[in-house]
Amino acid sequence: MAAYQLVIIGGGLSGLAAGIRAARFGIKTLIVEQHSLPGGLNSFYVRQGHLLETGLHAMTNCAPANDKQAPLNRLFRQLRLPRREFPCHEQIGSEIRFGGRSLLFGNDPAILEASIDRVFPGRIDRFRRLRQEIAEYDPFAAGPWRSGRQFLADHLDDPDLADTLLLPLMIYGNAEEEDMDLGQLVIMFRAVFEEGFFRPAATMREFLGLLVQQFRDFGGEIRFRSPVESIVSDRDRVVGVLLAGGEMLGADAVVSTAGIPETMRLSGWPGEVDRYVGRMSFMETISLVSRARTATLTRDRTIIFYHHGDRLQYRRPSGYLDPTWGVICFPGNFLGLPPEDPVQIRTTNAASYPLWKALSAESYESVKRRWTEAAVSASEEIVGNYRSSIVYQDSFTPVTIERFTRKAEGAVYGSAVKIKDGVTPWPNLFLAGTDQGYLGIVGAMLSGITMVNRHILR
Amino acid sequence: MTRDEIKDVLLEIIADIDEEADFARLDADAPLRDQLDLDSMDFLDIVMELRKRYKLHIPEEEYPQLATLTSCVNYLEPKLQHV
Ligand SMILES: Cc1cc2nc3c(=O)[nH]c(=O)nc-3n(C[C@H](O)[C@H](O)[C@H](O)COP(=O)(O)OP(=O)(O)OC[C@H]3O[C@@H](n4cnc5c(N)ncnc54)[C@H](O)[C@@H]3O)c2cc1C
Repeated sequence: MAAYQLVIIGGGLSGLAAGIRAARFGIKTLIVEQHSLPGGLNSFYVRQGHLLETGLHAMTNCAPANDKQAPLNRLFRQLRLPRREFPCHEQIGSEIRFGGRSLLFGNDPAILEASIDRVFPGRIDRFRRLRQEIAEYDPFAAGPWRSGRQFLADHLDDPDLADTLLLPLMIYGNAEEEDMDLGQLVIMFRAVFEEGFFRPAATMREFLGLLVQQFRDFGGEIRFRSPVESIVSDRDRVVGVLLAGGEMLGADAVVSTAGIPETMRLSGWPGEVDRYVGRMSFMETISLVSRARTATLTRDRTIIFYHHGDRLQYRRPSGYLDPTWGVICFPGNFLGLPPEDPVQIRTTNAASYPLWKALSAESYESVKRRWTEAAVSASEEIVGNYRSSIVYQDSFTPVTIERFTRKAEGAVYGSAVKIKDGVTPWPNLFLAGTDQGYLGIVGAMLSGITMVNRHILR
Repeated sequence: MTRDEIKDVLLEIIADIDEEADFARLDADAPLRDQLDLDSMDFLDIVMELRKRYKLHIPEEEYPQLATLTSCVNYLEPKLQHV
């Protein structure tokens, strides 16, 4: 018998959720994570006394604790975490600014409806029918790729409204360029427009702590600073993982959350890696601004999605960064949070991995500074000036994302081609997380849960 | 285990899975899933918990026999008679 019944590669959100599921039912489970902290894309770090979260703008899929079928609550039940002890702070309100128009939305879909009625006269009935169709659509049923863009065009008969609605759905959960699979669109539409945004009362550090604790309480083991160098197989089965230090860990089954390209590399999985390398990556800048100087800044918006120009350009930019569209997030603007000082502003823009990767070590820093400036300027046009009051600032690029998570080309949402059943050429090696297909924080956790339920627990 | 003991174990397992579960008006002969608003993922947890506690392997084809509280007890009684 192998040392472990299950080894999970990666202590990000999908790996932790997968680990809790397996350990909960007595499966001897080990999570191996290359970093010294859990969380992967959604982790945290401390600089100059400030705790900074790497990923979190907002959690999607907000739901009251008594709505049993809501994805968020199913997630808590599956992980056996008491939902009532997890207070959620709902967003204040968000906005999509697209080509000179503005739509408002919140966690009550009526806000979006009222806004559409005002800004796109005569379209509200079509939008209501669209909501109805989306409510009835089963995004988890197997089926061929369908164009989400075409679906919106057919239902709304208004390209401006269609593109405006697509912007947040794509930015928060689409690995493809230009178009989006209808199933993924439905998942994101529900997550963002029907259920909406919230933040846990504490930070990502506490949330990750809760998950790691739960995993350990069920008897799971987690090893940090343990990069996996290869997935070892013997004839047609995987027999374990080899750590960078040379240690071999035997396993009856392996779940990899490292993404398809990295899993291919680790396992020697024959196939065309390029097909699975996503092209959408982002640069994110976090600015901390002293509260005393923020009187002129937007207080009543949680997240602003913006896009200049008339047709949606969701694609890898031709330059280092595309400041003409992106996201501006105020992580402090959630209902019931104590006022933060300094105030945090995060800007996210599409960025080109190959250009960042080609930079020499010397020019990297200056180019990063230049594009940080560009991103901040673009956001100031929308929320007001804050540059002169910044007390701390940090940015990360596609190269940073690749280095920290091993997601090929820093593709935040991974491959445009997903492997939804999590199956690989080996009968006991499975995928979970981003490249299995569920995206975002809640999505990644549901992916880990679903894959363990399907392949390990049965 | 007696029928009553099996029933208590089942309710305890369900209460563990779902902190919101309300047994006050539970009809033992009506489908559990509808009454408690459980989904297939929760349902799997009942099966997994029985496996963990009693090393009981319930094949997927037999899940329908676990539809109501009474049918669960009927199904489990012979399997748990020596526990
Ligand atoms: C800037 C930014 C903002 C975001 N904002 C939000 C948001 O507001 N809301 C939201 O819902 N989602 C957000 N996301 C997306 C969300 O973070 C991800 O979808 C989710 O965290 C993915 O989890 P995962 O487990 O699939 O992958 P990852 O988090 O990438 O986990 C994979 C883990 O595997 C480890 N690993 C990889 N290779 C190896 C190896 N060989 N050996 C050992 N360990 C290895 C990595 O270190 C990593 O910890 C954001 C992402 C980014 C980058």
